[in-house]
Amino acid sequence: MTAIQEQPPEISAEAESWEDELQKVGLVRRIFQARRWYGADWWFVMISTLMVVGFVVIALFPNWFAPYAPDALVGPRFLAPNEHPDLPIIIVPKDSPFNTLKDLAVPEGQPRPQVAVVQGVPTGSALNEQAQVIDEQVKNEPGGLRLRPQIDRYASDEEALQAILDGKDEAAVIQSTEWKTISTHFPTLREAQSITGGTANAGGFILGTNDIGQDVLSRLLWGTRIAILIGFSSSIVALLLGVPLGLFAGFVGGAFDRLVSLVMDSLYAFPGLILAIAITAVLGPSIFNVIVAIAVLYIPTYYRIVRGQTLSVKEEVYVEAARSIGARRMEILQKYIFPNVIPSVAIIFSVNIADAILTGAGLSFLGLGLPPTIADWGIDLARGQRFIQTAWWMITFPGLAILLVVLAFSMMGEGLTEIFNPKLRER
Amino acid sequence: MPDDILYSIRNLTVEYQTRAGVVKAVDDISLDIRRGEILGLVGESGCGKSTLGKALMRLHTGPARNSGGQLLFDGRDLMKLSEEEMPDIRGAEIGMVFQDPMTSLNPVQRIIDHLTETIHTHEPGTSDAAARTRAEELVEKLGIRHERLDEYPHQMSGGMRQRVMISLALALRAKLVIADEPTTSLDVIVEAKFLDLLKELQKEFGLTILLITHNIGVVAEVADRVAVMYAAKMVEVGDVRDVFANPKHPYTQGLLKSVPNIQLDGSELYKMEGAPPNLLHPPKGCRFNPRCPQVMDICRIQEPAFEAVERDQLALCWLYQNAPASAEVHNG
Repeated sequence: MTAIQEQPPEISAEAESWEDELQKVGLVRRIFQARRWYGADWWFVMISTLMVVGFVVIALFPNWFAPYAPDALVGPRFLAPNEHPDLPIIIVPKDSPFNTLKDLAVPEGQPRPQVAVVQGVPTGSALNEQAQVIDEQVKNEPGGLRLRPQIDRYASDEEALQAILDGKDEAAVIQSTEWKTISTHFPTLREAQSITGGTANAGGFILGTNDIGQDVLSRLLWGTRIAILIGFSSSIVALLLGVPLGLFAGFVGGAFDRLVSLVMDSLYAFPGLILAIAITAVLGPSIFNVIVAIAVLYIPTYYRIVRGQTLSVKEEVYVEAARSIGARRMEILQKYIFPNVIPSVAIIFSVNIADAILTGAGLSFLGLGLPPTIADWGIDLARGQRFIQTAWWMITFPGLAILLVVLAFSMMGEGLTEIFNPKLRER
Repeated sequence: MPDDILYSIRNLTVEYQTRAGVVKAVDDISLDIRRGEILGLVGESGCGKSTLGKALMRLHTGPARNSGGQLLFDGRDLMKLSEEEMPDIRGAEIGMVFQDPMTSLNPVQRIIDHLTETIHTHEPGTSDAAARTRAEELVEKLGIRHERLDEYPHQMSGGMRQRVMISLALALRAKLVIADEPTTSLDVIVEAKFLDLLKELQKEFGLTILLITHNIGVVAEVADRVAVMYAAKMVEVGDVRDVFANPKHPYTQGLLKSVPNIQLDGSELYKMEGAPPNLLHPPKGCRFNPRCPQVMDICRIQEPAFEAVERDQLALCWLYQNAPASAEVHNG
């Protein structure tokens, strides 16, 4: 028998359209060639992917980035971003060896150090309290030092500082904000540490503090964990339930298809947030229940797309051809229908995560879903809403975080759609 | 059943359930397919030839079903097998080549996977390497270089894909290949090559081929015998040379007259009057009677039998049969 020898068709590089080339290259090359081929921008995917990766890393290791624990009371209330808390600081002459409050301790029997404070300001009592704490520490140490400063009260900051210059007192304790305004008038004095240690410039918070003195930035970073957790797990749960249901309903058809489609359409007909509210209200507040509620919300999304795709793919000739070579039903579902359906699922998955994060934040904003002790953006938003006029940073930054995360996931989904299905763009 | 007959179809009926009612797309058809022959099945669009092809593998799902008759394949009645037993027949005993090679391969599967999957489905013990070797030998015979096995269907031309489809049927040495308009979407050169290939395969593998087509020229070129269908009925079966030289049924006669012939003079081409009947309400009696130039009274009353007119040439026509007495009485 003489075999037919087919020569590879000779096609010049110009004649070969990008559509042919598209099929031959892998995903990475496709992303970079996309701009040249059909104007889809690789940087769109790149930026959103970097953002997504960043958020995921923060979600996995918030402790690497967050300066404080999310629920720790670390500073004064309502401290604006980058504002320094008003701390009582020690002012001493430039040549003084004193630096910390502990340096003022003297052996028993020696004259107690004299410290100037201002009347009517809580610095005096703060100094007393802190001195007692240090006294308790040092009196049991070898050397038998005691710290019992003698406190002189003056009418104003200027008078208290003048007392040092006059030699009446060895040091003064005044509020750091006051010192900033008058320090230029006392060039021979310098600022030592605050009475609790550390400089007066320590203790600032990049994004400020909230109504109970928690660090907004730390809560934001720890809140990423909840957002990503809810986004990913509810989308995965929805996918794991919606995709097989859609596949089977589309493939089997008949009564099963009609029944499942009816249930899914009913779910789909509900306004999303209302359904999630109803489910969490019944199940009670916990992360797990929020994930369940949001997953239920998004099962129909996967179901409808997969069922529709299955219905059209199963009528393809290659499925009939597969039957004609003896492939069984499960094999056809596995090897012929599923691989042809899954690309559309991958794309909605990313957009779905963004949606789920938004819904999760919405739920906790309404006070449903998450226990209020958890660091979550929605909860922080709800909290910040009450103080929107006095502390804009409390509501702004969680809001921005939600915006960025949703943007990143949606952008990635859209970008990937364009890379995978360039023809969609032409329509 | 004589030993030289591979597939004996007896009184096969295929029904489609539609909103308007039950349509018999294949109505009480009997046909013998002999071992090692190429049987051409011709007929106009919608006459039921593709339905018959699929029914032979019991591929119908949904609205269509094989509703009656016997499918005696190599001594077994396929109608009696369960749905679970049919996949063992499909591919291994009977293979199929579809009309559109562009869509009949899974776009996300490499060519090699199509072939090895067929082998693994029917011979689960075969190792991957052995299956690959078999596949390579097979496609080389069909004129596809084995390196191309790792490509995806879209990287191949239509003719190559059709050869891949054939190789799927040959991978397990199927006894019968049903080729459903395999060359319709190919251009004439590729079509000619493909038909040559079919003939060579028939000789080399002793393959039996049922070639479904509406192109009577293709049948003349490659088929040993020809079966003509009209309106869900088999109207004539016989040796290609006999039928072409001496068609019995008026429909076959019209069909052959309407083919342009370069050797005859340039007189106007014969045009058959009328249109094929609506199968929901087929005409009473012979289904061809509204269009038949030689119609008789009996044709409108009673359906003729599918009988041998000459040795090895059967026709469904009253012209060659005696009308039963009762009909004549009624007629008179």
